Amino acid sequence: MHTPSTVLRTVLPSLLLLPLLPSPAAAVFRDEVGHIDYHHRLLGLPQRETTFFHRPRRDDRASLLYTLTDAAVVGAVNPGTGEVVWRQPLTAFSSSGNASAAGAGDGAGGFLRAAEGEGWVVSAYGDAVHAWDAISGRSRFQSALGGTGGRVVDLEVMEMTESGEARKDVLALFEEAAAAAGSTVLRRLSAADGSVVWEFREVTRDVPLQVSTNLDKVFLVSLRGTPGAYSLKVGILDPVTGKKVDEVVLGGKGEDLAGKEDVVLVGANSAAPIVGWTDAAKKTLWVNVLGSKTRHPFPLADDTVSVEIHAPHLVQSRPHFLVHTRTATGHRGQVFHIDLKTHTVTQAYGLPHLAGPGAFSTSSDGANVYFTRITEDEVILLSSQSHGVLARWPLKAKGDAALHGVSEVLRKPGAEDSYAVRAAAVTDADDWVLIRNGETAWTRPEGLSGAVAAAFAEIPEDEDLARSLEHEAHGNPWEAYLHRVRRHLNDLRYLPAWLESIPARFMSSVLGADVAPAAAGGKLVRDSFGFRKLAILATRRGMVYGLDVGNKGGILWRTRAFKMPRGLRWDVKGIQVHDGTARATLLGAHNDFVVLRVDTGEILEAKGPSPQATTQATALVNTASGTRLIRIGRGGKIGELPADQAPRQTVVTRGPDGELRGVVFVADGATARETTSWTFSPPAGYRIVHVATRSAHEAVASIGRVLGDRTVLYKYLNPNTLVAAAVNDATRTLAVYLLDTVSGQILASARHPGVDPSKAIECALSENWFACTFFGRYPLRDDPAQSLQGYQIVVSDLYESDVPNDRGPLGDPASSRSAGYSAVGPVDDPTGRVPLPAVVSQAYILSAPLAALQTTQTRQGIASRQLLAYLPETRGLAAIPRVVLDPRRPVGRDPTPAEVEEGLIRYHPALEIDPRSVVSHEWDVLGVDKIETVPAVVESTCLVLAYGSVDVFGTRVTPSFLFDILGKGFNKASLVTTVAALGVGVVLLAPMVRRKQINMRWKAPL
Amino acid sequence: MSASTSVSSPTMPTWAVQLKNPPPCRSKQPGIPDPPGFPSSQTPTSSKKKDAKDSKAAQRQAPTPEEMDTLKLKKAWEVALGPIKSLPMTAIMMYMSGNSLQIFSIMMVFMAFKNPIMGILATNQAFERFETETNRARMLQVKIAYVAMQLVALALGIWKVNKMGLLPTTRSDWLAWEERREPLEHAVPAL
Repeated sequence: MHTPSTVLRTVLPSLLLLPLLPSPAAAVFRDEVGHIDYHHRLLGLPQRETTFFHRPRRDDRASLLYTLTDAAVVGAVNPGTGEVVWRQPLTAFSSSGNASAAGAGDGAGGFLRAAEGEGWVVSAYGDAVHAWDAISGRSRFQSALGGTGGRVVDLEVMEMTESGEARKDVLALFEEAAAAAGSTVLRRLSAADGSVVWEFREVTRDVPLQVSTNLDKVFLVSLRGTPGAYSLKVGILDPVTGKKVDEVVLGGKGEDLAGKEDVVLVGANSAAPIVGWTDAAKKTLWVNVLGSKTRHPFPLADDTVSVEIHAPHLVQSRPHFLVHTRTATGHRGQVFHIDLKTHTVTQAYGLPHLAGPGAFSTSSDGANVYFTRITEDEVILLSSQSHGVLARWPLKAKGDAALHGVSEVLRKPGAEDSYAVRAAAVTDADDWVLIRNGETAWTRPEGLSGAVAAAFAEIPEDEDLARSLEHEAHGNPWEAYLHRVRRHLNDLRYLPAWLESIPARFMSSVLGADVAPAAAGGKLVRDSFGFRKLAILATRRGMVYGLDVGNKGGILWRTRAFKMPRGLRWDVKGIQVHDGTARATLLGAHNDFVVLRVDTGEILEAKGPSPQATTQATALVNTASGTRLIRIGRGGKIGELPADQAPRQTVVTRGPDGELRGVVFVADGATARETTSWTFSPPAGYRIVHVATRSAHEAVASIGRVLGDRTVLYKYLNPNTLVAAAVNDATRTLAVYLLDTVSGQILASARHPGVDPSKAIECALSENWFACTFFGRYPLRDDPAQSLQGYQIVVSDLYESDVPNDRGPLGDPASSRSAGYSAVGPVDDPTGRVPLPAVVSQAYILSAPLAALQTTQTRQGIASRQLLAYLPETRGLAAIPRVVLDPRRPVGRDPTPAEVEEGLIRYHPALEIDPRSVVSHEWDVLGVDKIETVPAVVESTCLVLAYGSVDVFGTRVTPSFLFDILGKGFNKASLVTTVAALGVGVVLLAPMVRRKQINMRWKAPL
Repeated sequence: MSASTSVSSPTMPTWAVQLKNPPPCRSKQPGIPDPPGFPSSQTPTSSKKKDAKDSKAAQRQAPTPEEMDTLKLKKAWEVALGPIKSLPMTAIMMYMSGNSLQIFSIMMVFMAFKNPIMGILATNQAFERFETETNRARMLQVKIAYVAMQLVALALGIWKVNKMGLLPTTRSDWLAWEERREPLEHAVPAL
């Protein structure tokens, strides 16, 4: 029988521990959504060829804006509001792309087509063709070439209906890799289910370019010949059987075509499909109406830089097209008409040369074809028939120049010549803007996608204040005190303004806004909780963004650092933010750098990228002349540095063969030479796939872990450690090493058999533990015939000794004579023993793969930690508590009372990602590559920024709950009202009570 | 008057004799209240019994100073051993109240410390009334015993506090003052 006290003893600790367990409070509350977190739901920058307006329902005039972007995302946007209706990443489906869904295509290419009057769109990326429901974005079918190394070269929808089957099929042109005999494959895919209706295969050395159809023929355009002297081959196929009917060869004799870049792809399905190409010097434009044998040369202006052809995409439209030529200073257009009977092309009219890049777009309404021209200051609507301007709207918001766009023209039914135009244009500041009759309807910051590096910066304080604080810190105490008194007296003049701001602050505090809204002047002010910071985000397109983290992640400023050439990405290797001077330095891989102000984005200093990639990495090192960001050259070479700029620490770099090297600098007069102090090469057959380092400023509150019986396990807190994961592709073994980065010693190692090397392997290191996640097959220890397979996470704790109350081989630093210890000491001493940490490990099978591992950071490290990870399959951000990942969880038995007191729960091999621990809750966060964390001023909170190829998401996480500030759930309004009501009550009742008391005194006691 | 008193008893004045042997109480006249402070007005019903007792006591021999000392010493021993008598009860209550921090156990621990300490501080006051010139030496033993008993009660409180884990007796309690091992060299990753 239980006495009450034993019941109490068994129940009470578990009650006390309840808050430690993952409880509903870990979830994001509904009223915090959009308040503590922000999400830029992006698509990527739309590409000219793969963006269009399309009506998803045949009998509905409402249209959506479809695009396949350079981040390889296909999506639909509501043109009225700019909201994303649906989006689907294509990299996840492409077998030729890498395994991770976040493997962003750089300048992705791809194809997107829609059939007029059909409720689907079809995309092609890599080697896969995918059809999507136009309204819901659900997959209709998927079809891949199969085999290896193939890719889609062109995609077209057959704009015709055969007798019997009233559907518009998809034509996909594939190019097989040269290894597979370099054949050209053209497939007709059924629009219903993606099955192959017919396949045309041709094994030649030709380069397939384009497939086009008109009402009764399929044209397959390819390049024949050798590079530099190509001629154009047009194969004519029968659309029903896919048999080749005819073949036309155009040009040749080395006069025209240097390569496939000179062919102007039209990608249009008009009544008279055309192909155009220019000569290498861009002097002449050649146009051929497909099916005919004649070429029509048109001279181009001398200063032409690039040529684009805009043609209507409908069969019923008039066969007119516009040639858009860009020059160094401006752009011009020429409109051509095609005679359908004679296949001759004539120039109808020309449009004047205007400054700026300009954008043309085509829109067709039945047989009418309209061209919309967006210039620097107006939108001009033209008909393809004549050069008369139908309508003209001045641009209300003059800003960035439009690069390319799509448009939709509506002819208002009432008036005769009244038009409405909405045009979605991509600007040179990487925005996607919808201009409705000259007014900007919405702007989508699509340039935020493709982020390569990010850093948090403090909102700069008044520079005078920073200077005087510095002065006070370094002066003698009495002068500093006088200075301070003077400064405070001086500050009194701000008192009236401060008093004035009290009501507003009070109101915002009562109404539950924990971050004060921007002041009227738009001045950035820090908040007392440290939630308001700046996030500096650099994208691969050469843009730098400043986000206001405290204010829903709004874009504060954007600056183009460099104009990146096509196909080249800005590879930012390191960002150093100097909060004192409010400057950020961004170092790129191509010997480029930018210095900018963090609050305005104003570029103070910049050097453009050089053609060669020179920088492998960067490091923030301590030197005699302060903290500096140094470049690490290719192969880990740093080279000689001036003695005052040489790092004092050991710099850990990757060598030319992927090995790890520790480099120290030896002063040699005025210069310092780099000397390798250690090298770590993985065993033969292994290659290092991931290296996890700890964050530069990591606060640890307690040096030990208190067990249930109040003894202490001392944590192994060595800041100079890293975790290297090396994998052997042949034996499919993963080896994880914990290295001392000063001595290069292996402190701990583990081997995991049956690991899939093609899947992502990632590690994270923090405090005294590290975690590695991988996909593996794990034979059961008690029954080797059985094996577990899945995504795993292995967590290891490091302790100074595995005996409680023991400080390990190095002893107590307080009793030993020197408080510090040297990592190289025991190595140098021949009899010395390297003090190794005691390691406790546990493995878990995960319910979902994890990527972009990161740990939370708080200001003093008192709050418990969480492991942040991106869930690529469910597209969310998970925060897994450390309690769940504890390697000391008892296996095969219930925890003893002492273990319960320690917070240990029984080990269970399967680790479900609790939906309540998904900090991105219902938001669909796509394409996260990296997660950055930074502590707030309050201990409980850690700011998180997740960014990558597509989305930008930020939130605040509280690993030990919000214990130091009042949350939104605390009703300040009712508290204030209650206090006020009580005050009023006291004031009203006081005279009554006093009267009563006086009366009582005067009344005779009976 | 003075002559008659001097006659009846030469050593004692009359008023003193009357005071020692008050005249028997007459039966109360109905309707006439006793004056305030008169004994019969306070306990009119028990007045007769009291009288009998009083008369008995009066007849008893007054205790000698030695007897008086013994009596006082006995009484003092009772007081000195008082704290230990309540100890079993306190111990059971402490055991029952559990080791968690609750208002009940906190109050209990507070009392467990407050009572003995206050008792020790007030030792002299507690035995003041039993102390005489002659038994002072023996009273010192009693006082020592009293203090010892209070210390036992205090030990019980300390035992309780220890049970609650409030005594800094283990390594973990001094963890915050222990030094962190600082490395002499530093490394910076550049990967």
